[in-house]
Order: sequence, then C-alpha cells, then structure tokens
Amino acid sequence: MVDVSQHELVPEHILLDDDSEVEQVLEEYNIKRTDLPKIKRNDPALPDEAEPGDVIKIVRDSRTTDTAIIYRLVVR
Amino acid sequence: MSMQSPKEIGGISFGLMDPETYRDMSATKVITADTYDDDGYPIDMGLMDPRLGVIDPGLECRTCGRHSGSCNGHFGHIELAAPVIHVGFTKLIRRLLRATCRNCGRLTMSEEAKEEFRDRLVRAEEINEDPDDVLKAAVRQARKSSTCPNCGEPQADIKHEKPTTYYEVQNVLSGEYSELIAEAMQPDPDDEDDVGMAPQELADEADLSLQRVNEILAGEFRPRKEDRRSLEKALGIDLTEEDMNKLMPSDIRDWFEDIPDEDIAVLGIDAEKSRPEWIILTVLPVPPVTTRPSITLDNGQRSEDDLTHKLVDIIRINQRFMENREAGAPQLIIEDLWELLQYHVTTFIDNEISGTPPARHRSGRPLKTLSQRLKGKEGRFRGSLSGKRVNFSARTVISPDPTLSLNEVGIPDRVATEMTITINVTDRNIEEARQYVSNGPERHPGSNYVKRPDGRRLKVTQKNCEELATKVEAGWEVNRHLVDGDIVIFNRQPSLHRMSIMAHEVVVMPYKTFRLNTVVCPPYNADFDGDEMNLHALQTEEARAEARVLMRVQEQILSPRFGENIIGAIQDHISGTYLLTHENPEFSETQALDLLRATRVDELPDADGTDEAGEPYWTGRTIFSLLLPEDLHLEFTSSAGDTVLIENGELVSGTVDENAVGAFGGEIVDTLVKNYSERRARIFVNEIASLAMRAIMHFGFSIGIDDESIPPAADEQVDEAIANAYERIDGLIETYRNGDLESLPGRTVDETLEMKIMQTLGKARDSAGEIAEDHFTEDNPAVVMARSGARGSMLNLTQMAGCVGQQAVRGERINRGYEDRTLAHYQADDLSAEAHGFVENSYRGGLTPREFFFHAMGGREGLVDTAVRTSKSGYLQRRLINALSELEAQYDGTVRDTSGTVVQFEYGEDGTSPVRVSSSADHEIDVEGIADRIVEAEFDSNAEKEAFLGRQEPPTNLSEYAEPRGYEEVESDD
Repeated sequence: MVDVSQHELVPEHILLDDDSEVEQVLEEYNIKRTDLPKIKRNDPALPDEAEPGDVIKIVRDSRTTDTAIIYRLVVR
Repeated sequence: MSMQSPKEIGGISFGLMDPETYRDMSATKVITADTYDDDGYPIDMGLMDPRLGVIDPGLECRTCGRHSGSCNGHFGHIELAAPVIHVGFTKLIRRLLRATCRNCGRLTMSEEAKEEFRDRLVRAEEINEDPDDVLKAAVRQARKSSTCPNCGEPQADIKHEKPTTYYEVQNVLSGEYSELIAEAMQPDPDDEDDVGMAPQELADEADLSLQRVNEILAGEFRPRKEDRRSLEKALGIDLTEEDMNKLMPSDIRDWFEDIPDEDIAVLGIDAEKSRPEWIILTVLPVPPVTTRPSITLDNGQRSEDDLTHKLVDIIRINQRFMENREAGAPQLIIEDLWELLQYHVTTFIDNEISGTPPARHRSGRPLKTLSQRLKGKEGRFRGSLSGKRVNFSARTVISPDPTLSLNEVGIPDRVATEMTITINVTDRNIEEARQYVSNGPERHPGSNYVKRPDGRRLKVTQKNCEELATKVEAGWEVNRHLVDGDIVIFNRQPSLHRMSIMAHEVVVMPYKTFRLNTVVCPPYNADFDGDEMNLHALQTEEARAEARVLMRVQEQILSPRFGENIIGAIQDHISGTYLLTHENPEFSETQALDLLRATRVDELPDADGTDEAGEPYWTGRTIFSLLLPEDLHLEFTSSAGDTVLIENGELVSGTVDENAVGAFGGEIVDTLVKNYSERRARIFVNEIASLAMRAIMHFGFSIGIDDESIPPAADEQVDEAIANAYERIDGLIETYRNGDLESLPGRTVDETLEMKIMQTLGKARDSAGEIAEDHFTEDNPAVVMARSGARGSMLNLTQMAGCVGQQAVRGERINRGYEDRTLAHYQADDLSAEAHGFVENSYRGGLTPREFFFHAMGGREGLVDTAVRTSKSGYLQRRLINALSELEAQYDGTVRDTSGTVVQFEYGEDGTSPVRVSSSADHEIDVEGIADRIVEAEFDSNAEKEAFLGRQEPPTNLSEYAEPRGYEEVESDD
C-alpha cells in the first residue's frame, strides 16, 4: 500500500499531543475545540496515533506566505 | 424604525399541531361550500365568513373588529367526516408503521437497542450530524424483528403505494392450495423420468398421515403453517399468496395513538410537540380569507383564489361523505368517497405529487395550492421573502457618452425629477431645502414630497410649492430630485461579480437613456445593442458615504478575480493610442492641442523639433507622455511585440496598446492604481480615453471588405499551399489504404491517420494565413486592430483573407451524416479533406454550399456549448453563493461562519487581498520592489520629518465636483 502521507503533495500533518499547545491555539483564536475545522479519523494523511478529539496541525506550502498553518479536529 | 418590536425571538421550534388546537384557534367552523350569497354578502359559516377576516374595504372583521388592511385574518376549520393522511408526512408514516408493533404500538426492538439509538441521537446533535440518519438506522433495526418483542405479535410487512395508500402484506395460504398440490403431484409430461408422486409418498416426505394428505387434497382441511412448510418443501412449490390488507387512515390513527411517548423519542420525535396521530388529519384548518383573497373582475363577477376553489371541493365531498354514511351506503361507495376526500385534501396541500393527477382549474390550468405557493424561484421564500422589489430605482436603456468621467452616469431629466433623495432639513441646509421645495415637482432641481416632524407626508404640487417652501423648518424631511454629484448605485444583470454593481455620480441630461463612459463596459459586461441597466438612489447618509468610499467606480478599477485592472481602454481607444504611438507621428501645435483638448493639459511642453517649413512639431509619444505621472518608470512588452520603456514619466520607446492601457491588465493603469492612487488612475483612464478618441478621429479609422483582400498572386500562393496539403493527404490515405501507415504510440492506425490529416490541414491554413499576412500593409486597419489587441485576431484575418480551415465537431473532423460519408455528395469512405469539413475558401471569397453546410455544423456546436455553459455555470454560481454566503472575514484575520466555526485561520491562507495581488503567473510578487519603495518612502520622511508631519492627507473620495479645479496636487498623491 502507498503511504499517502509521504507524498510530496500531501502537507505535513502533526499531532498536537501536548494539551497546552492546543489550549494556546484555542486561546489565540478564542474558540472551542468544536469550532475548529474537522478531519475524519480515517483520513489517510493522518498520523496513525491520531484519535477523535485530537487536534492536528497542518503545515502547507503557500505561494505567498511560504507556509500556512491550519489546525483541524479529528472526528470519527 | 418606529415599528420596533419590543420582543426578541429566542428560538423557533417546529412541531405538529393538535387537532384540539385547530378547533381552539378556529374563528368558525366552515360547513357551507359557497362563498357569497346572491346579494354579494359572505355566507355565514361559508368560506368567506366575515369571522375569517375581511378583504373588502369598509367591512369590519367579526372576530377582531378591525378593517381590511389591519386585520391579518383568522383561521377557521372543517371537521373532516373521516380522517385523511397529510401528504407532507407520508414517509414518516411509513417509517412509523414499519418500526412499531401493529398490536401494542411499541417499537419492535429491545430496550437496549432503544437506549443505543437514544444515545446516538444525542451524539448526532452534538457533532452536528444529520439526525435523520439515526432515525433511518432505527427504523431499519426495528423492521428486522418479525415478531414484537413486547407482545409477541407477528409483524406484517408494510407496503406504501404512493402517495397515500398503505397496505399490510402477509403471506397466507393460497385459496387454491389443493389444486396446486395436485398439479405438483402429477408427472411432468415433458420429462420421462418424472413419474409423479403418490399421496403415500407425499405423506411420508412431508411427515403427515395419509388421511390428512387426502383431506388436504380434497380441500377439506387447510394445512397449518408447519404442515404448509413441509408440503412446500416436499413438492418444491410455493403454496402462499400475498394478502394485501389496506390500512385506512383511521386504522393508522388508532395504531399511532398506541405508540408510547418514550418510544417515539427514540425516533427523534418529541411527543410533547408532536404526537404521531396528529399526522392524520381529522380537522382541516381553513386559511383566513386574507391568504386567499377573491378578486372582482371588470364585469362585477367575483373570481376566487385557487385555495378557495380547493376548499369548496373538500367541503362538498365531506358533505357527501357524511350524507352517504348516514344513509348507510355500501362500503364500496364509502371507500370511494373517502379516497376522493383524500385526493382533495392531498392536492389542497400539494398539487405536484407524482402519481396523482393535479387538480385543475376550469380552464385546464393546474391549481396553485399551498406547497406551490412556497416552493421554487417564484415561491414565498425565494420570491417574496429573500427577493424584494425596491423603491427609488429606475431602469432604462444605456448608451455611451465619452465626455463623462468613468465615475459618472448620465441620467435622463425625467428620471431625475421622478427619483428622489431624502434630506433632513437642518439650520444649515434650510435655504437649500426651501429652494428645492419652491421649485416644485416639475422644475428640475425640485422636490416631490415633504415630511413634517409629526410624520405627515405632503405631496409637493405645482400649486402648493411656493407656500409649502415657506413652511419648511429644521426637522422636516424633503424628498428632493437627483442633482449632479449625487451618488447612486448602478447595476447590470447578471450580477456575476462585485463590479456588476458600482456607485456612480449623477449627471442630469436630456433624452431618455442612461449614459456611461465606454471604459466601464468591461466590468458591467455591457454593450449598447439594447442593454438596459438599473439605478438605485441611496436614501441615508450612511449608505451614501459607504457607496462613495467602497463602491465608486474608481475604487473598483482592480478586479479581485485576477488582481489587475478591469477598467481601461477598449476597442477604439486602443486603436487610437496605437496610431498615436506606434510610428510616433508628428503633430503641429494646433493638432497637438486638439488631441489634448479634453484633458487637463492645456500647455504644450517644448517642441520635439521643427519640420521642413520650420514649424515646431510634437510627436505622438510626447503627447501621450503628458498624461503620465512625472515619476513613472516602467518597462514591459506591448501586444504589438515591441518593448515599451517609460522613464521619468516619458514614453521613450514602444507602442501603447492593449498591454499598456487596456482593460484586463493594462500595465500602466495597473501600476497607477497600485503604486499611485485610484484617483490618479481614474484621471489617467479618463484622459487616455479622450486622447485616444481624439487621436483616432485625427487619423480616421474605417474598415471595409477590401481591407481583407489580397492580390491575385497571393491568392494563387494560398491555393498552391492548400493543393500541396491535399497532395500530402492523398499520400497519407494511400499509405493507410495499403496498410503501411505506422501508428503513433497509444493510437490506432485510424486515429493516427485522422491526427496526421488534421495536422497537415492545420499547417495548410497557417501557411495560408502567413501568405495573407505578408500581403497586408502595416496601416491596414484590420491589422492595426489585431496587432494592438483592440479587436479581432490575426486568425480572424487569416480566415477572412486566406482560408477558413477545418471545421470540427467534438474536436474531430466532421464524421457524422450518412452511413460512411458526411453528405450524399461524396463516395462512401471518402477520407479526403473536402469530404470531412475542410473549408479551403476564405470568408471574403465565399464558401461553397458544402463548405457552408460544414461550417454551420461547427458553428452550431459553438452555440450549443455557450447555451449549456451559461445555464450550468448559473446554477453552480447559485450553489456557491448559498454555500459561502455566511462566511465572513473577522477582525482577527480568520474566516468564520455564523456559528463561529473557523473556516480559514488566515484569510486566503496568506491574509492578502486578491485585489492587490495579481494572480497571473507572469506577475511574480515583487517583494523586494515593494520593500524598496516603502523603505525609500520612510527615508524621505526621516529627512524631512517636519515636512512629513505637517503634510496633509489629500481628501479622499470627494465628488469630482468638490475637487479643486486644478489637478496639480494630484502628482504628489502617494
């Protein structure tokens, strides 16, 4: 099987396992966890250890800003 | 604003209504199918009962005592003779019937399963999933059990016959069981091995006594279920037949009454608000007369609303139903009437149910009943609630006026005297306001209405205007005519992007059309072949300010679609600047001043030289340079192909054409907006348009058929090129026929041949084009237009002068028509160019009939494609708008929807405005350039800090009328 997470077009998906980091993000945007964009647990780009309720940090390449950072909440 | 509601809506909940509530809120019971009596008075307890509200002026509502206009109307009710099904709930009925027990009404699933679904419902709500999915799963689960786990009753399958009939289906023993068994025991005449089956054998096989088998065969004993099964197994036949037991609405109602509250909660229904038995109608609410007003025709006859017609039907059938039942009519007739009543109630609610013929008006037109009033584009939601008609708007044909600024719009005087702007009279504008009023409604800057502080509106008339003017005081409101400089909103449909609605300044003019500068045609996508546009006068100070700052045409020069200017020179403007700059012609003083007469330049710079007669001359580029800011530096390639160099605001070399000043990314316009200001760009575009018009008029510009003709020698060359191609194609076909054609990788031989032929013919047309091009002179107007990008392309010219070329349908040579050939004029399997739509003639030379036919085939495809594309993209746009309408960029840079969910953490992932960043690939973001510019500006201010602090920001967005006469300070804008 091909591991899509290694594909060059798939941006890096980083699991935020440190709760304080998540809190920091939520505080920065003044939102609840459920206000984050969602990502399905069975999404092949996710790291294997991601569980529903976890927050994923995605670092994408951007033409204008070099990298763009997006957070997503893992859902079932 | 005086109608402010004292209450705030906290929430809305939807549910079913208890029939008792219907009765309670009903103003009257309706029993008579008639509306008005012979004297024209509404009949008591009829469909127009005055207790249901009033529509005729002067009458008093018998329920609330108010008059028509203030009385909203009141519901009545009809007591249905027998319960009927509400069509809106047929699916829910089916689900409930399938999920609950026919005997005890409880859900046919275990307590644990119920608990699970209850949990899933809660969870679905939490994570915003569709609770309908849970409901479906629950029904599927409940349907699995063949017997009720609560009372043990065997469950029947429910069959739903659309729209409103339900059956219980059970497999029961066929009435002809004995015959079926006997037949199966007979030997098969077609099969010699089959000797049939003796009763003794059958008895052994089915484990029954011989006597019982004989009884069964004689039809004296109906086999029980187990016996039936074993008999079926022994004989290999099916002894059952489907028994359809129709469920009448009353049966369903009784069934639903038994469903306990806690069981339907599992299905997501709140029994407090909606008991399932309320789905079955026993009382029908009669909408107030105000919802179905009757209209009086010219001949005094009344014409009733469709809903009233439908209610008349319902009452009539209801009446007949009751009479028949009381008279003890046979069951068959009662059932027929019941079905008829069901039909009428169904069509009263929805007249577009599939499988049911729609109820029709006497004229044959289908009735517009409740559901049709709400649904679709013209329905209550999309037509009346989201889409509104507005006052203070005007619509008429548009026509061009190059003397207007691009910010302006010419408005016919008769529109200006009809459309008004509300001004609040204060101590400071009282004199002005009085003047407007005293001018009356007909003299142009006049007024049509005034409003006193007590809220009373007075019409200004020719008679009372003088007197009224003296009465006007501070605190009044005056609706004055539109005058020059007012800001209005101008729009052309389809409003596909934000530049379809822009704010303009009014210029009142004679005649009947809206006038606009031709440079605003691209954003509106307007032309003057009969296009109409809409105009809206803004009524509040806030709206006017907002429109002026955000929506004015000059603020929309850059398009957010591709980040470059969408407003700029078009068509003749571009031809004009091309003629002015391409060969850099010389102009005398008079000519030069004439070219610049509509610009702010009224003094010529030093002459570029003197001609033979000793008269000074100015070159076209010098004249053009007068419109540029003094510190502009630019270098780019023009459409004509040369390099344009601008240094210190001087056009040093190059042709000014589409790439320089055109709409859709003209470099100079784009740079002016981005590096100078919208105002500077507006001035430039206005001036370039007028200079170009002067220039093109100076040179004269026209085009005729002879401009596309080439000398006979060239014609011969074209013919030769085409003949050559034909020869090569013949060669190709020959090789193909001999089976010697090598196929290209991944293609069949046939495909290869087609590709090669297409290629050859393409080359033939190109060489024809080149030949034609060689014979065109540089000053040929068609060439000027094509080179400068004003209109048309070299390909168009090729087709006119050289050869039209291959016609294609679906990207292939034309292959359709008759069997193995395109037209009856050709041999079957003719692969030649002319048999498959190659047009060797030019448009000017004229097409042969066959060529014309092929050309029409290709042309038709293009037409169909455009038609399909517009409808497809229109719907796509509607869906996109609905999906994105609630997204909003927040002050923290995120994009969120109305519920606060983050959609983008940084607007567009980079926080940049698409208006300011060009999206075309050849426009890399010049980060260094931007940084340099800013640093330079910073240093400047440090050196002259005093001057910097003392400097005044230029006023923004003033009307052109409020601007100082001279434009000199514009240069120091940025």
